[in-house]
Amino acid sequence: MEKGKISSLQMAIMMYPTIVATAILGVPSITAMYAKNDLWLSPILASFIGILTVYIAYKLHKHFPNQTVIQFSEQIMGRLVGKILGFLYLAFYIPVTGGIIRGYGEFIVDSFLVKTPISVVMASMVLLCAFAVLGGLEVLARVAQLFLPAFTIPLIILIFLLSPDFEFKNLFPMFEDGIMPSIKGAIAPSGYFTEFFLMIFLLPFLTDGKKGLKYGMMTVFAVMMTLVVVNLIVFLVLGESTISKVYPLMNVSRSISVGNFFENLESITMAVWILGAFIKISVFYYAAALGTAQWLNLSDYRPVIWPIGILLVEFSFWSFPSGMELGRYDLVNFPFQGLMMQTLIPMLLLVISVVSKRLVKKSKTS
Amino acid sequence: MSANGKGQLLMRNALLLLYFCGSILFVTGCWDRTEVNDLAIVTAAAIDKKENNQIELSLQLFIPKSLSMGGGQGGGGGGGGGGGGGQITLAASHKGDNIADALSKLQAQLPREVFWGQCKVFIFGEKAAREGIQEHMDFLLRHPEPRERAFIYVSEGDAKRFLELSSYLERYSGETIREQSKRKLGIQVTMQDLDEMLTGNAHVAALPYLKIRKEKQTLAKSYNYPDLFATAVFKKDKMIGTLNESDTRGVLWLRKEVKGYTVNVKPKSQKGEVSLNPVSARVKLIPRIKGDEWKMFVKINTEGAIVQNGTNLNFSDPKAIKLLEKAYQMGIKERIEYALKKTQHELKTDIVGFSDEFHRKYPKQWKQIENQWETKFPDVKVIIDVQAHVRRQGYINKPGGMPEQEVKK
Repeated sequence: MEKGKISSLQMAIMMYPTIVATAILGVPSITAMYAKNDLWLSPILASFIGILTVYIAYKLHKHFPNQTVIQFSEQIMGRLVGKILGFLYLAFYIPVTGGIIRGYGEFIVDSFLVKTPISVVMASMVLLCAFAVLGGLEVLARVAQLFLPAFTIPLIILIFLLSPDFEFKNLFPMFEDGIMPSIKGAIAPSGYFTEFFLMIFLLPFLTDGKKGLKYGMMTVFAVMMTLVVVNLIVFLVLGESTISKVYPLMNVSRSISVGNFFENLESITMAVWILGAFIKISVFYYAAALGTAQWLNLSDYRPVIWPIGILLVEFSFWSFPSGMELGRYDLVNFPFQGLMMQTLIPMLLLVISVVSKRLVKKSKTS
Repeated sequence: MSANGKGQLLMRNALLLLYFCGSILFVTGCWDRTEVNDLAIVTAAAIDKKENNQIELSLQLFIPKSLSMGGGQGGGGGGGGGGGGGQITLAASHKGDNIADALSKLQAQLPREVFWGQCKVFIFGEKAAREGIQEHMDFLLRHPEPRERAFIYVSEGDAKRFLELSSYLERYSGETIREQSKRKLGIQVTMQDLDEMLTGNAHVAALPYLKIRKEKQTLAKSYNYPDLFATAVFKKDKMIGTLNESDTRGVLWLRKEVKGYTVNVKPKSQKGEVSLNPVSARVKLIPRIKGDEWKMFVKINTEGAIVQNGTNLNFSDPKAIKLLEKAYQMGIKERIEYALKKTQHELKTDIVGFSDEFHRKYPKQWKQIENQWETKFPDVKVIIDVQAHVRRQGYINKPGGMPEQEVKK
C-alpha cells in the first residue's frame, strides 16, 4: 500500500513537530492553571505517558511488523471485533484531526486574519496537507526534515531574545502545595504525549525498524524538554498572569524588546506555529487516510485522501461550537479520550496478543 | 507522434504555469489586506469617566499628511496644516458605555480604521481610575492589537488634556510621555506589569501619576509639559491615593528601579549641599518571621558619583568622604522611611512587593494570612540598612572655583 520507506530518524523528525506544534501554544497556560509556578514539572511527569505509549507501540510493532493498528487489531481480536475497533480508531483520528485544524484556524483568525472567514483558513490548510499526503510518506518525511530547522531555530532565538525579561523569582516558592498541583497540571500535556501512538502508522515503513524504539524515546525526551523550556520562559516573563492568557507564547514573543528597535516578533511564533501545524495535520491526515484504506481493504490509500479531506473540514466545524469549547476539550476531554484510544486500548491489545501467543506456543508444545 | 508529444508537453507546462500563477492568488491573504493608508494609527489613548456612568474614549491619531507637508517644503506653502509642528496628531473622542462602545461610535466618525498596534501610551483619567480600571483592562488585554509593552498612566484631572498637549522636542505628546517614562524618573509600568500586579499576591497596583506643569520660558512665552514623577496607588483595581515626587523616589529604591536622578545631601555641620548620582544600587529585601512578628530587612548597597559640590569639603580627604557617605546613607534612608510611612501606614497598600518576598520565603505562614495581608502589612517592621559609597568625583577634586584658603583642610 505504502511503497515509500523512511529512516527512524526521519520518523523522529516527523513526530517532534507533530506533538510540539500545538502543545507549545496552549500548554503553558493550561498547566499554569493548576501547577502555578511549578508548571515546569508537569511536562516531565506527562512524558511518562509518552514513554509508555512509545513502548507499547513499538512492542505491538514487533509482534506485527508490517501492519498498522487497523490491521493487527483484526488479527488479535478476530475479524468482527477487530473491524469495530478499527472503525473506532478512524472515528477517533478523523474528528481529532478536524479539531487540530480548528485549533489552527482559531489561532490564525484570532490573532492575524481577523476578517478572513475561518473556513478559508482551514480549507486551504487541508488542501495543502492533502497535496503533501498525496505525495506519500517519503514526501512527508522530507517536508518535515526541510522544515525542522525553520521550526526549532526561531524557538531558540526566542529564548535568547527573552532572556533579559526573565524574572527567576517567579518560580519561587517551589512546591508550595506539594506535588499534587503539578500532577494535575500534567494531565493536559499527557494528552499530547499519547499522540505518540501515531508512530504505529509509521513504524511498518522504517528501513531500520530496530532503531524505532530508540528514536521514539529520543523524540519523547525532545518534546518534554521543549515543553519544559517553553513553560519556563512563558512563566518567567508573564508570571501569574500566564493563567489568563489563551496563547501565552504569543504574548511573550510580542513583548520582546531588545535595544528598543528589535520588537514585535510575534511573526516568529506565527511562522513556527503554521509550519508545525502543517506537519501535524499532515501526519494525522496521513494516518487517517492510510487507516481508512486499510480498514476498507483497498490497495491504495490515495483515492480516499480527497473524501477524507472533505470530512476533515466538516469535522473541524462539527467538533466545536466555539473557540472556548475547543480550549475546554483540550483540557478536559482529550487527555482521557487520547489516553483511552492511544495508550490503554493498545496496551490491552498488546496484553491479549502476548497471552494468546503464549497459549498457542503451549498448545503446540503440549 | 513527436508533434503530439510536444503538444502534450506544452499543455502540461501551460497547466503548471496556470497552477503556479493561480496559487499566487491564494497566498496574498487578501481578505485581511489593510493598506497603511487605510489605518488611523493611534499614538496614545485616554479614558475618562463622564456623567451618567459613561466613559469618554479619546484617541491621539497620527496625521500622515502632516509629515509630507511639514517635512520637505517647510513653512513656504502649507495651507491649513497649522505650522510649528502642532498639528501632527488629531485628538478624537467619543462617549460610550465602555471602551468598545465608545470605540465603535468613534470609528464611525473616522474615515480610516483605528489601529492600536503603535499605541504605546494609555492614560486613565483620575475619576475613571478611582472607579476601577478592571473593565477597561479587559478590553486592552483581550484585543489582539494593544502591546504588552505599552505604558499605562493615571492623570490628574481629565486624561484627554494630555493628548492635546503640544510637544516640543518630540513630535507629539504621546511620544513625549513615553520617552520620559523610558528615562525611569518615575515608576514605569507596562500593561504586562499592571496585569501581573493586579493578579498578584497583594492585589494592589501603582501607576505613574501624570500632571501638567506650566513652565515659564524666556520672555512671555510659557510651555506645558507632562510630569510623571508622582505615583497613583491602587487597591484592587481602584485608585485610592497618590504619592508625591519624593515618596515616589523612596518607592523606586524599594522597587529596585532607581536610575538616573540626582540625590542632594547635606553633610553634617556643612553649609552647602552635595549632589550625587547613584551609579549602581543593589537592593535586597529579606523577610523574616519570628513568632508573630514579621520583619523586613531592606539592604541597600549603592555607589554614587559626585555631580556637584556646594560645600567647601575636599574629597581627596578620606574624612570628608566618610562624612559625605554618612550623609548619603541618611538621605536614602530618610527617603525610604518617608515613602514607607505613606504607603505602609497611610495608604496601607503594599506596592513595594513585600508580599511576594514573604510568600517566597515563608509559603506556609503566607498561606495563613493571605487574606488578611491588608491588615498585616502595616504591622510589618521594616529595618533599613543602607551601605552607601562614593566612588567617583568627576574632573576636579577640590571644590571648583574656590580659593585654596577656603577649602576645608
